[in-house]
Amino acid sequence: MSDGTPPPAGERAEGLAKLRAALGALVARLRPAWSRPRVRVASAVLFLVALALAGTGWDFEPVPPGDAAPAAAAPAASREAKRLAAERERLQAALRRRVPRGPWIVIDQTHNRLRLMRGEETVLEAPCSAGSGMVLKEGAHGRVWVFDTPRGRFEVLSKTEKPVWKKPDWAFVEEGEPIPKDPGDRLEYGSLGEYALYFGNGYMIHGTLYERLLGRPVSHGCIRLGREPLRVVYRAAPLGTPVYIY
Amino acid sequence: MRARLLSFALVAGAAAVATAAPQAERPPDPAARALQREVAQMRRERELSAGKGFYLRLDAARQRLGLMLQGVTLDDYAATGLELGVPEVLFFDRRPRADWDLEPTSKGRLEPERQRDRVEIVAPTPASVAARPAEGASPEPPPAAKSAEEAYSVPSPYRVVFGEGVSLEVRSRGEGRRNRTLLRRVVDAAGLRLADLGSALGLGSKDRIRLRVMLEAEDAASLYRSLPPDVGLIVVGLKPR
Repeated sequence: MSDGTPPPAGERAEGLAKLRAALGALVARLRPAWSRPRVRVASAVLFLVALALAGTGWDFEPVPPGDAAPAAAAPAASREAKRLAAERERLQAALRRRVPRGPWIVIDQTHNRLRLMRGEETVLEAPCSAGSGMVLKEGAHGRVWVFDTPRGRFEVLSKTEKPVWKKPDWAFVEEGEPIPKDPGDRLEYGSLGEYALYFGNGYMIHGTLYERLLGRPVSHGCIRLGREPLRVVYRAAPLGTPVYIY
Repeated sequence: MRARLLSFALVAGAAAVATAAPQAERPPDPAARALQREVAQMRRERELSAGKGFYLRLDAARQRLGLMLQGVTLDDYAATGLELGVPEVLFFDRRPRADWDLEPTSKGRLEPERQRDRVEIVAPTPASVAARPAEGASPEPPPAAKSAEEAYSVPSPYRVVFGEGVSLEVRSRGEGRRNRTLLRRVVDAAGLRLADLGSALGLGSKDRIRLRVMLEAEDAASLYRSLPPDVGLIVVGLKPR
């Protein structure tokens, strides 16, 4: 085992001599093959292919920060430039108007985070639970449900205090219970928490009995939120509040 | 003779009009030209923000990559580096059109594709009343699905390939960059090199422009896990090359 100290000069010279001898033997072995024209042609082809592969691919050049069009800030001189500058102002204003002025909600369903915004400012950020992505199958040939939360822009369409859950078929199928014939048997009290904000197609932002699972994707597609953040969101978000889910 | 002169004058006139037409479209003033370009980009951005699809907004001047929907920034990542790549064949690169970044870019898909490992449950047969929890007892929580970190491993680099020959290559740096096995990384790297060769030669993928963005490992993973399907792209603040 080496202790890190360099070998003595004699040993080094011996090692070099061994290496030289091994290289000499290799060259001597390859020399007869090299004299054959086929080997030379094959070597030349291989070299050219390697060269072609080295020069084929993607050529990248860096784009430094601040490398913007220089005239953007320059004063408009010509008549055409003035017209374009005015149009740019109009377009900038139009793009700024796309950001809601009042409250809006953003839900990151990958990381299970909900943000309540007002203009550009974040008012509240809280863990939530989005759709689990699980697939529920009703027996071998029955119905199939996928518990995903939809992506896109929605709006708060209605708000409810002490919401009552009208359980859909999958809720009974999942529990292994028979689907009731009386609609009254579908009603469940308390499981959606204190408030619900409905944003379409059966999806809501509501409370949960399973607060310890907030931050994990465990819902059937709705957005579950803790008691305190739900209170804040319920108070801050009037009907028509945009809800962006990604 | 007069007829010949007339036809010559007509041809010369047509040629003069033809050469003057592009000058009318491109203002001679450099400031106006730059403004024209910026306005074209903003029009494109307004179109995207009026649609219903998600899109990525790469600001080359500020080096930021945003996930947008209808003009609203849903998530925003700081890039630590940005590069512009063009395909090269036998040491000769193929330059794109100068205004490639004014063209619409859509239908972005991840490569390698994100595969979600879904949990499947077959519903139980109706349970007996005795097996259920008593009235008032707290119910059993449902089986927990995998979190995003558990469900998806993130390759580095990965690409978002758009339908119009533009792709965005995301490379990660910093802690947590290597979350795949060595074998998986080697296979991914070999696959990417082969894909690079193919796309440079115009086989298979039709990439003509590749934007390489360097993100912190956490941001790169976050973008990979949350990128919606069929995403669009707009690149702003890029100096024409």
